[in-house]
Amino acid sequence: MKLKTSLAPIVALAVVAATSATVASAESTLEIVKERGHLRCQVGQPSPGYYNLDSEGNWYGLDVSVCQAVAAAVFGDKTALEIQSVSSQARFTALANGESDMLSRTATWTLTRDSQLGLDFLTPNFYDGQGFTVRKDSGITSAMELAGAKVCVTTGTTTELNLTDFSRQNDLGIQAVTFEDYNVRDDTYLNGGCDAVTGDKSSMAGNISSFPVPGDHMILPETLSKEPLAPAVRHGDNQWSDIVRWTVFALITAEELGVTQANVDDMRANSKNPNVLRMLGAEGNLHEGLGLEPDWAYNVVKAVGNYGEIYETYMGDGELGIGIPREGSLNALWTNGGLMYSPPMR
Amino acid sequence: MAIIKAEKTPDRSAPVSETSVMGWLHKNLFSSAFNTLLTLFTLYIIYLTASGVYGWGLRDATFAAENRRECYDYSLTGACWAGVIDWLDNIFYGRYPREEIWRINFGGLLLALWMAPLWMGRVKGKVLVGVTVVVFYPFLAGYLFSGGDKGFFMQVMVTGAIVAFAINMANMITGLTKNMGLNAFIIQMLEQGKAPDKTQRNILLLLLAIAFAAAFVWQVNWTVEGVSWTKWGGLFLTLVISGIGIASALPGGIILALGRRSKLPIVRVLSTGFIEVFRSVPLITVLFMATTMFPLFMPEGFVLNKLVQVIIAVILFNACYMAETVRAGLQAIPKGQFEGAHTIGLGYWGTMGLIIMPQALKHMIPNIVGSFIGLLKDTTLVSIIGLFDILGMLRSISKDVPWLGLHKEPLVFGAILFFIICFSMSKYSRHLEVKLSAGHKH
Repeated sequence: MKLKTSLAPIVALAVVAATSATVASAESTLEIVKERGHLRCQVGQPSPGYYNLDSEGNWYGLDVSVCQAVAAAVFGDKTALEIQSVSSQARFTALANGESDMLSRTATWTLTRDSQLGLDFLTPNFYDGQGFTVRKDSGITSAMELAGAKVCVTTGTTTELNLTDFSRQNDLGIQAVTFEDYNVRDDTYLNGGCDAVTGDKSSMAGNISSFPVPGDHMILPETLSKEPLAPAVRHGDNQWSDIVRWTVFALITAEELGVTQANVDDMRANSKNPNVLRMLGAEGNLHEGLGLEPDWAYNVVKAVGNYGEIYETYMGDGELGIGIPREGSLNALWTNGGLMYSPPMR
Repeated sequence: MAIIKAEKTPDRSAPVSETSVMGWLHKNLFSSAFNTLLTLFTLYIIYLTASGVYGWGLRDATFAAENRRECYDYSLTGACWAGVIDWLDNIFYGRYPREEIWRINFGGLLLALWMAPLWMGRVKGKVLVGVTVVVFYPFLAGYLFSGGDKGFFMQVMVTGAIVAFAINMANMITGLTKNMGLNAFIIQMLEQGKAPDKTQRNILLLLLAIAFAAAFVWQVNWTVEGVSWTKWGGLFLTLVISGIGIASALPGGIILALGRRSKLPIVRVLSTGFIEVFRSVPLITVLFMATTMFPLFMPEGFVLNKLVQVIIAVILFNACYMAETVRAGLQAIPKGQFEGAHTIGLGYWGTMGLIIMPQALKHMIPNIVGSFIGLLKDTTLVSIIGLFDILGMLRSISKDVPWLGLHKEPLVFGAILFFIICFSMSKYSRHLEVKLSAGHKH
């Protein structure tokens, strides 16, 4: 009883502190970012195609480009950016506690995450899906032929769960061999420890390209899961989520309109297409609602190129690309039968 | 009739079986059929391992290539060291700007020079050298590594560090050449050897003040470009975290151990509670608490430097382990030593500082160094919370597109690097033990 009374003032103090903290945070994310002078963008631990360190210590990748695009939209300078690499265990906490301004990492947009973690997922910038890799000489051409097979998988993600679901659903009796690290998983597969590997198709495409003889392996056509990977921001700041969402849309729209990093200056000056002129800020006032400068989208394309260019560099056949064909995939532009579609910018 | 030989029997050389190589082999390796079998089997295993390592690591290995595919083109079975070589800067310095790397090297060199007198028998004033390196060096190194604007406090400390370093070097030179301390040398040069002590002290203090003022004026214009801590990484970061951890864990541990043995109940209970709490949770939990939970208790938008949080966590954690090591050492000291110290009129701190601790610490060297080595290796856990220490960097090589999947070579390289560092520490501790226990060998 005595303990309770002595605790009361402390509890009261904590409540007051918490309330005053909420009051102090009335400032919008955009104001905080501008005041600080750079954007804090969270990625994960290096993952081929999305975010990587090169030997000079610079970050590169598809998701890093999204970070740079947002920095360019806000500051007109893609280097006004601090990339934070956070482990997947701490990723949502680091966003919630204000350490990061946005998340641009391979986080799958799911209902639970969107509704329960206090964050908002925005436009997907990559549609991934889980699949299988097998040796070509195994004669397997469909995942349905994997009955009783030993499949290598990494633990702790939905990948393992999806595999079990798939096996149960189709009564295949697949034996999962689990690993913590996907390098070890691939080594085991290469040494004949399992018949197939399962993982996200994008990362597996990259891994195959690193095998001694890439031509000996192939990815099966089946896709086990939907993995829309989207940037995310804290729930509740709509202006900030609009900025991040429309930055991604601007990348897609630029590709649709044929605006590239190389011709963006020319397009802004000489284009006859009013959509291009509006987007690049040569006319109209699209920027006002976002609270950005009129040339924000111009800065975005000037800094990182359009979506197609980014894809080609990091996901496609570019020098730093991991060689995932875009044609016919979900990541193609809607005009080519893919899902990359931006609402009109007007 | 006594049989006494007048002359000494000539010395015989030791039997061949004791001196020749063959004799040694026979005695140690082939003394019985079973031992011969065992020897042959072991030799075969060694041969297999060595030839495998040689074939993979050297004979078939690639040392120069643009990317992993080129390594494969050269050999499918050999190691691809080219990736590790390409990433050396990252492995050693992290993402530190390449044109500023000299600052890290310079900082390391300063530390080595600063500590050098501690190993030189003829140099005087070693305690002062040790104290200045702990008090001043961190500020000089801290500014050198992070750069930017200096606050007033930082300016004073950097000045202090520069002066301390200069005096230390001068003292080392006078010690080596003239076999005397710097203060004695200056007094001699000024021919004030006969002056009263007070005059001598005033002269030295005046000179010190002049040196301080000069250094202060100089350092105002000495600035280096700011480098954010987020760019620190690689072996450099590992050494910074473990270096600070090592330097603070021992004093922290001594204080906690004394606290735990204290006669004052509050001090004792607090120390014991602190030690037990931190010792009962894994380091990774402490690190996660420090980096993800701690900011949740702080007002929103308040972001404490993650590196500082990690360092504090490492210090607290290791101080608790050190405290128990120190306590074990204290318990080995017989009661008579305490009583003896009291009889000659020493108080608590005198007893501890002059009688008990020097004896206890000497016995604890193997354990202390063991903890230090453990600490160094434990710091690699920070790669899990997203700092790119040496392990984080080594693991990132396999994700860099040109070197995709290259993960064995970096880890082997890291293992060799860690072995070199830890083995030198353990060798040094052996050396210390021998040196300190000279005079009473058991």
